[in-house]
Amino acid sequence: MLRFARCYSLARSKATQIQSTVFRPEYALKCGLEIHTQLNTKNKLFSQSTNSATPLLDVPNHHTSFYDVALPGTQPVLNLEAILFAMKLSLSLNSQVNMVSQFDRKHYFYGDQPQGYQITQHYRPFARGGKVNLSRELDGIDELSKDISIVQLQIEQDTGKSHYTDADKDVVTLVDLNRSNIPLIELVTNPDFSDIKQVKAFIKKYQNLVRHLHISSGDLETGAMRVDVNLSINGFARVELKNLPNTSSIINAIKYEYQRQVELISRGETDSLLEPETRGWTGSSTVKLRSKETTIDYRYMPDPELPYINLAPDVISGMAASMLELPDDIMRMLMQKPFQLSLKDAKILTYNGNQNDMYNHEALRSYYLETFHEFSKLIGKHSSAKLPTNWIIHEFLGDLNKLQVPLGKAQEILPPAVFAEFLRLLYTDTISPTSGKLLLFYILENFKQSGCQDSSIPDLPKLIKEFELHAITDVDSQELMTLCNDIIAQHTDDAFIRNLVSGKKKTSLKFLVGQGMRQSQGRIKASEFEKKFKEILNIQW
Amino acid sequence: MPLKRFLKQPLQRLSDLQSKYNIFTSISITANKEQTNKPLTNYVASIKDNIVTKDLPTTCASHILENFKSPYDATVVKLLKQAGVHILGKTNLDEFGMGSGGVHSMRGPVINPLYPHEQGMIMGGSSSGAAASVVCDLVDFALGTDTGGSVRLPACYGSILGFKPSYGRLSRFGVIAYSQSLDTVGILTKKIDVLRKVFQVLDKYDTKDPTSLNDELRGLIEKNMKAKKPLKIGIVKEFNHESLPSVFHELYSSFLKKLVNLGHEIYPVSIPSVKNSLPIYYTLSPAEAASNLSRYDGIRYGYRDSKLDIKDGVLFAPTRSKFGIEVKNRIILGNYNLCSDAFKNNFIKAEKLRVNLIDEFDRIFRFPNVLTDSKGNPEGLDILVVPTSSKLPETIKDFQEQESKSPANSYINDVFTVPMSLAGLPTLSMPLKEKTPIGVQIVGQYGDDSTVLDFVESLS
Repeated sequence: MLRFARCYSLARSKATQIQSTVFRPEYALKCGLEIHTQLNTKNKLFSQSTNSATPLLDVPNHHTSFYDVALPGTQPVLNLEAILFAMKLSLSLNSQVNMVSQFDRKHYFYGDQPQGYQITQHYRPFARGGKVNLSRELDGIDELSKDISIVQLQIEQDTGKSHYTDADKDVVTLVDLNRSNIPLIELVTNPDFSDIKQVKAFIKKYQNLVRHLHISSGDLETGAMRVDVNLSINGFARVELKNLPNTSSIINAIKYEYQRQVELISRGETDSLLEPETRGWTGSSTVKLRSKETTIDYRYMPDPELPYINLAPDVISGMAASMLELPDDIMRMLMQKPFQLSLKDAKILTYNGNQNDMYNHEALRSYYLETFHEFSKLIGKHSSAKLPTNWIIHEFLGDLNKLQVPLGKAQEILPPAVFAEFLRLLYTDTISPTSGKLLLFYILENFKQSGCQDSSIPDLPKLIKEFELHAITDVDSQELMTLCNDIIAQHTDDAFIRNLVSGKKKTSLKFLVGQGMRQSQGRIKASEFEKKFKEILNIQW
Repeated sequence: MPLKRFLKQPLQRLSDLQSKYNIFTSISITANKEQTNKPLTNYVASIKDNIVTKDLPTTCASHILENFKSPYDATVVKLLKQAGVHILGKTNLDEFGMGSGGVHSMRGPVINPLYPHEQGMIMGGSSSGAAASVVCDLVDFALGTDTGGSVRLPACYGSILGFKPSYGRLSRFGVIAYSQSLDTVGILTKKIDVLRKVFQVLDKYDTKDPTSLNDELRGLIEKNMKAKKPLKIGIVKEFNHESLPSVFHELYSSFLKKLVNLGHEIYPVSIPSVKNSLPIYYTLSPAEAASNLSRYDGIRYGYRDSKLDIKDGVLFAPTRSKFGIEVKNRIILGNYNLCSDAFKNNFIKAEKLRVNLIDEFDRIFRFPNVLTDSKGNPEGLDILVVPTSSKLPETIKDFQEQESKSPANSYINDVFTVPMSLAGLPTLSMPLKEKTPIGVQIVGQYGDDSTVLDFVESLS
């Protein structure tokens, strides 16, 4: 194994909260991002090795081919899937895809760099330009709207990984080449960020985009997405920040570095800010990794054996035509008529929250949209957007989580048309919401008890009849009178009645109605109770 | 089954020749089991030691790959094995193919068997052992590699045939890269019919090699083929014939007379860019070499310094100090050419000049070039005749003395062979007289290998 001295201690100190950073207008922050995203292609960029989806669980050096370990005589063969993925991302960002791009070699020695160079795109990158729009409405930034412009996107190889272990006497480096040659896209933005909220929003948005396009897991934790930051204050030289494993590191490193530079500037000690440098994040502070004098010349060379990527115009236009709708468009569509979802609900249907096994957002969205459509057909108008939203996104999902029934399974017994019919029963007051909840839960629980095997469609009218869940539309006035009188006798006193009748405490009526609903198990409509109580107590307001 | 049965010579002779001429880096006497009814059944071959083999070590004649054994066979080796060929051994070479004398090997120089070994004459390189194995009749043919003349020069000095096919026809998968925009697998043999058969076996598209000529383009070349007789043959003005030894001129003019008598037409032709060939070659090839040789860090295979991985802050410097002097020279030159300051002035310019050279070749040939989309000049030439070497073989001592004065002295030797490498043209060096180290190259347009082979066959 490779042995060499370390440049600085790798021991990670505990992340400390940087609380005191105050962004001051007289010290203007200018920030750009460089994001490396691993593409989740089936195979690696230039070999047939599997591109593992579970990097943390793998045996070291398991996913390697002769090419990945740079055996003599091996050659790179380009994986076209990576080109396809890069094209999707470029089009989503409105970047100009270059009809001809090329691969170049970037040379430097390192234990986890088996060829002694990395194949990247230096002279002619895959795509140039483009932008990401951030808005107050969707992304919660302070500005109404802000564009972050993109310099370029390039395709390149990932390197292997070095693991440093401390033996008592010497320092040993272990090299794992599973990651070597996994396709990466490096995206470089212009230094358009002027505050931390924008940086956070951009990262979140970009992460969601690559997930939406199914081109990357977008996870920072596994290293599938890695963010470097460059930053400068008041036009001093730019400092690049590396080794930022998660969002909080990114944010804290920017805060720390901002604070550090502001202090230097305010003390007039700006000598060290005249030359660009690269700094690493230790978890609590930034430390200098290298400056201009120690920067190595990468000796970029066009790769002599990989052909140019020549794209026909119809390939790009064909891809553009088959592109999925983008998250922002979906969000806006869901938040407008007829759906009128809240930002929060729209996000549930648009973004991969990544923490739920029972459904994914795409399946849920199409279930929602189809059900909505079926429901609209049944009732002939769009007026009741709230009903499908509440019942699908809240009630139904809640039940699935409670019962641990996956959406894909539940759809077998509750296809959109059936759920729409269920909604119609609620809409027409055929069943009360309380009964609806009981009925929905019963259906799903029953299905679960069959081991999710019995996928016969439930007969809603039969079940309603069987459990006497029908709303009582034809309420016997005398019975209702008795019920209301009982409630008044049990739950009120003189003061209560006085305040209620005088209108001093109108909410008391709601309390009484609530009691009524409870005792009738929701089968008698609230308005019936309200009318009857007013009549009995002779309420005039 | 022991290979002896198939050896054209007794084993004793093999070891005699090996100790005299230093031909092989490793020898195998296990025979190929594929033996019936294959196109090359019972043929014996040697493989240059920069082409990987599973059964024998692959060292590139370099300390850096000491004891390296590849876990896979190069495509060309695989194809030969499948065709029934017995592989006798791996042949000596200039380290990583860098050199034209055959002297830069950790195993010592190859000595030219055309001369008594006491004279210590150079074989020419870098496929020095490959040529020597053929000269000695130890094998029916040898596989070499040709980057700037490495098959043709030793073939010329051994008075045998040395064929560098069009770039991309023979797979490079498993050929250890020196400068892969130029590296080409070549065939050395005494007989044109053997050369043809071997070429036929190896001339296949290989998906594992990104520079392999694909089936579509092969089909296009096939379609462009037309029977031509007589041939229009060009003599290129820019190749300075005056500097050649007088013995060459005699043989050369009788050769040209023979061609005229056969009814061919001979024309003088100008390719001005030929004069740029050496500067282009010595800008691009060392740059590619420096890049390709970056992988030899000792971590995964090959030699590794037992104590240190870092010296003066440079990773792997102790291990990489084991490269030979010529390889080190080229790595330094190559890295200089790639430095951000020099890149635009050197590398980019050289690439442009290379394109100009190819354009000029396209303009004089009748056959279309499928790579450049040149339609071919209807009035153009079918082949060119170009001397192979500006010099006769010299003693190893003289060669090394010249080189120690200036490495450029040995680079000049490539002047006649490099232009065809830069353009990827099919070129066959053939001797002008039996057992005489004087040869000419027959050059065809890109892809038109069969015209070159047909022509040489028609002369035998």
